[in-house]
Amino acid sequence: MSTPLILLPGDEVPKDQLPHSKSNNPLKVGPGLRLLSQPSAKPTSSNHVLTATQAGILTTDAKRNNVSILSFSNRRYIPAMNDLVIAQVHHSSVDFFHCIVTPHTAHALLGQLSPQLKQGDLVYARVLSVGVGAGAEVEITCVHPATGKAEPGGMGPLNGGMMFDISTGMATRLLRASSSSADENEGVDGLVVLSELGKKLESIGGFELAVGRNGKVWVDCSNAGENEVKATIAIGQCLQGTDEHNLNPTDQKKLVTRTLKAMKL
Amino acid sequence: MVGPTASLSNLHRADGSASYKCPATGFAVLGAVNGPVELPARRDALKPEEATVEVFVKPGNAVPGVGEKYVEGILRDVLSTVILRREKGLPRRGVVITLAIVGGEATERGDSYLTLLPALLHAAQLALISAAIPLPMTLATTLLGVTRSGEIIRDPSPAVAKAATSLHAISFSSKGHLLMNESLGRFDFDTWELVRQQAATICRGAATPGSDGDAAMGGTDNAHVDGFVRETVEDHLHRDYNWKLESI
Repeated sequence: MSTPLILLPGDEVPKDQLPHSKSNNPLKVGPGLRLLSQPSAKPTSSNHVLTATQAGILTTDAKRNNVSILSFSNRRYIPAMNDLVIAQVHHSSVDFFHCIVTPHTAHALLGQLSPQLKQGDLVYARVLSVGVGAGAEVEITCVHPATGKAEPGGMGPLNGGMMFDISTGMATRLLRASSSSADENEGVDGLVVLSELGKKLESIGGFELAVGRNGKVWVDCSNAGENEVKATIAIGQCLQGTDEHNLNPTDQKKLVTRTLKAMKL
Repeated sequence: MVGPTASLSNLHRADGSASYKCPATGFAVLGAVNGPVELPARRDALKPEEATVEVFVKPGNAVPGVGEKYVEGILRDVLSTVILRREKGLPRRGVVITLAIVGGEATERGDSYLTLLPALLHAAQLALISAAIPLPMTLATTLLGVTRSGEIIRDPSPAVAKAATSLHAISFSSKGHLLMNESLGRFDFDTWELVRQQAATICRGAATPGSDGDAAMGGTDNAHVDGFVRETVEDHLHRDYNWKLESI
C-alpha cells in the first residue's frame, strides 16, 4: 500500500482494499466503519458495503483479518470491553468505588473486591463491561473476576509517580508499541521515544510506565533517588511533546536529548 | 474569488474543534465540540435511545439573544440529521457544539442570521469530524443572493446581501439530499429553482453527466464546497499521521 486511503464520513470502502484472508475467519469491522446493505435487484444476492462514519486513514490487518479507521487522535475515549484504563477514585459507596475515566461522563464503578483505596487514588484497571440499556454504568476491575486474584500486567493501585494527559490516539500507539516485540530498530508505529528514554535513563535506575486507553499515562521513577522528580517530568514532557507535534523518529530522539540536557540528567 | 480557509483541532481541551474563515463574506467562526458527554441536569428529558445535540452560538460582541436562539434551533435540526445519534456510546449522552463568531461584520439586534449560516455550519461540521463523532455523510452549505436585476451572486458581501432582493442559504449532503433551505426576501418559485440548481453545483460540483470527472475539477478556480471540506480534512490527517505515512 503506497498511498494511504483517507476516507470521509459517508465514503464507501473500495472492495479491493479489504484484506483477503484465506482462513475462514469472518472480517472484523473496527471503529469508524459500519456495514450497510444496499437494496439490489435480485433478492438472493446480498449487496453489502462498508462505509466510513469518521474521517480517517483506512487501515487493514491481513493477519487478523480486520479493517478499521485511524481517526483524529484527540477524540474522546469511549469505553470498550477489555481496554486498559487509568482511573481516579472519586468517592466510594458500599459496594463500589466510583472512578473518573473521562471528564464529563458518568463515573465508572470499581468493585470493592479490589484493594482499599481512598479518594484521589489512581488505579490501573480493565474495563469489565460497558453496560447496555438504560441506567447502565461502565464497570472496571483490577482483579480477575473469577478468581479474585490480581491480574497480571501491573493491574491495581498506582502508588507514587505522576500522571500525564496525552491524546487517545497516542495512548493507543504506546499500548501497541509495548505489546509488540521491542527488538525492532525503527520502533513500532514510528515510536522510538520510549526506547530512547529507556537507554538514556538506565543509568539512574530506569522508570515504570502505565498507559491507559483513556489518554492517561502514569510515570514512576522511584529508583532514581534524588533525580526522581526531574526524570519523571522529563519523561512526561517527551511523551507530550511527541504527541503534540506528531514528531517523526529522528525528531523524537532530538527531543529526548534536548529535554534530558535541560533537566541536567 | 478567494476560497474559504479552515483549520482543525485548534483547541486543546475540546474533543474536537475547527476554525473557518470565509473571505468573501468576511465571517470567521471558531467551533468546538464535546461529546459524547453526560448531561446530568436534564437526564429524564433525554431520549433513551439516542444522543441529544446541543448547539450554542456566541456572538463576538454581545450576549446571546433571541436571534442566536433561533439560529441555534436551525443548526440543531440540520446537524441532528448528520449525526449518527444511535451509534455505540452515544445514546443518552450529549454532543455539545459551541460556535463563537470571532470575525466579520457584527450582526445587529433583529438582523437575520442567514448570512452567517454557511460559516456556522462549516465550522460545526469540521469540528464534529475532528471530534470523531460518527456521521453518515458530510454536508456543504452555500449562501446565494439574488440582486434586483435577477443576478445570482455566490457568497455576497454584507453590503451586497443588504441590497439583495432575496437571500438563500442552502445545504446539501454529500449524497445529494437537500438538508437545509432557508430563504429571506421576495422571490418566486422559478427564482428559487435557479438558486437551488446553482447551489447544488457550488456544493457538490458540476452534476452534469459526461463531464471530465474529479481530476479536472480539483484544479479549477471555483472548486466546490464538498471538495474544500475533503481537502481540509485530508491535509490535517496527513500532518497528524506523518509518522505513519513516512514509514510506509
